[in-house]
Amino acid sequence: MREQSARYFFLIMIPAFVLLTLFLYYPIIQGTVIAFQKYTLFDMTNTPFIGFDNFKAIFTDINFNFGQIMLNTLIWVCVSLALQFVLGFILALLMQKPFRGRGIYSSLVFYPWALSGFAIGLVWAWIFNGQFGLVNDILLRLGLISNPVGFLSNPSYAMASVIVANIWYGVPFFAIMLLAALQSVPAELMEAGKIDGAGPLRRLFSITIPYIKPTIISTTLLRTMWIMNFPDIIYAMTGGGPSNSTNILATQMINKILKFYDYGQGSAFGVVIMVLLFTYALLYLRLTSGKEETF
Amino acid sequence: MKLLLRTLKVLLLGLFLVVALGPLYWVIVTSLKGGQEIYTFPIRYWPSEVTFENYKYLFRISDFSIYFKNSLLISLLASAGALLISVFSGYALSRIRSRRPKLILLLGMYFTQIIPTYMLMSPLFISLAKIGMTDSLIAITFVYVSMMIAFSTIMAKSFFDRIPVALEEVAMTDGCTRTQTIVKVVLPLTLPGLAAIFSFAFVNIWNELFLAVMLLSSNHNMTVPVALNSFISKAGVNWGVLSAGIVVALLPTMLVFAFAQRYIIMGLTEGAVKG
Repeated sequence: MREQSARYFFLIMIPAFVLLTLFLYYPIIQGTVIAFQKYTLFDMTNTPFIGFDNFKAIFTDINFNFGQIMLNTLIWVCVSLALQFVLGFILALLMQKPFRGRGIYSSLVFYPWALSGFAIGLVWAWIFNGQFGLVNDILLRLGLISNPVGFLSNPSYAMASVIVANIWYGVPFFAIMLLAALQSVPAELMEAGKIDGAGPLRRLFSITIPYIKPTIISTTLLRTMWIMNFPDIIYAMTGGGPSNSTNILATQMINKILKFYDYGQGSAFGVVIMVLLFTYALLYLRLTSGKEETF
Repeated sequence: MKLLLRTLKVLLLGLFLVVALGPLYWVIVTSLKGGQEIYTFPIRYWPSEVTFENYKYLFRISDFSIYFKNSLLISLLASAGALLISVFSGYALSRIRSRRPKLILLLGMYFTQIIPTYMLMSPLFISLAKIGMTDSLIAITFVYVSMMIAFSTIMAKSFFDRIPVALEEVAMTDGCTRTQTIVKVVLPLTLPGLAAIFSFAFVNIWNELFLAVMLLSSNHNMTVPVALNSFISKAGVNWGVLSAGIVVALLPTMLVFAFAQRYIIMGLTEGAVKG
């Protein structure tokens, strides 16, 4: 009986693993191989191996500074993550106690999560438009600026603009996750805190936050990877410009493929991203698995 | 003091709501404005005359109804496919007892979760080009099914984990085969979970841009995101028509979210890997 069911289990997993192998595992291996080949759309039959030339090319490309792209990626991830988390946490705290219409409120305030990052990027590109944009109009009416600002065409404002769009998009995710965690905090614990005379802020920092710490750690760490690999909004708003001021690793890889049709160099970017991802994932696993018991 | 805190709370909740809905309101208003009014400054926050010109134009000059149909067909088929396959793989992963194989198979699933989809652009294009399967709706449906399998499986497993094995044993001693037990006993108990998996996959596939841009090229095969992308790469963006296109692109996932919000949130907190 036991042996028979083991065979059955492996049998019903075959479709899943066949598809994963064909469309995920194999392409990832192939993508790594292409990174060491000269591979462009213009000559797909002649694809010689060229060692590390693609990597040399992307590290020394005169059209962009690789260091700047790394720095942009870092700023994009850190600022987006910090503000998404803080705002998402505030929203979750505000929604923690039931109120009339909370169900409807949550569908109205959480809906950005379900939207396409690309379409959201287009909407925000229009909002930040340098001539007829909503942001310019509001700032002019408030008297904060005297002339419309080209938010997306000015390298000093472009990164801030795409990050604003990204924060708007990511707040619901944190609010949903943290709200679920908040609802698991036992009411008795809060009551005990109240009886001991702890105020709301004290209860937040000494009871709530320690209690939901595992959720906080795992969501922020996972989200870091996700934001780093989320090119959709930038691609729609600036395409990485102006003069590379919003170019991150992911958008530069996509530009290499969709604009320059250079699959070799695109894949070299892919390898760089994967190395970073795996290093990060290993760190993440060590950080979370080591501490599990202490919570 | 208590009243002050309450007012502050209501104000903040209101502020979050306004900021969340603002961009959506703005894109809808833009799509309902006439050609000239979009490009006036200062801005009008409500069209002087509501017109559906942009929508008519969208469906007349482009084959937007075809793109919409393609997107809908691919998203429905691929989500259904991913659901069907991952129900079985998720069940198996939940019930396998031998530790080592279970761990390896689970790692195989989790591994694919840290691979961003745009990483597959060039290798998939090159492989499919070799067998003449680029620009094919069937091929991209298979790609999307595979893209969603791992996350769906992980979610399905977590739902099955909560169903006691004893229930199945009763059914099996009553003469049900394994497959019958899954279909008749286990699945009815996890219907909300299945809804979560399906809506999750649907939203992700409907929104996917880069693989579609890479793999679909001819006009009659385009999906909605690919069409929007081709609108902006053409010189001179017409924001009225583009806004209409965005509204049409956002509609299905907003509907799915409105109806399946409870399940989607359940899936998000349950799966907790991809957002």
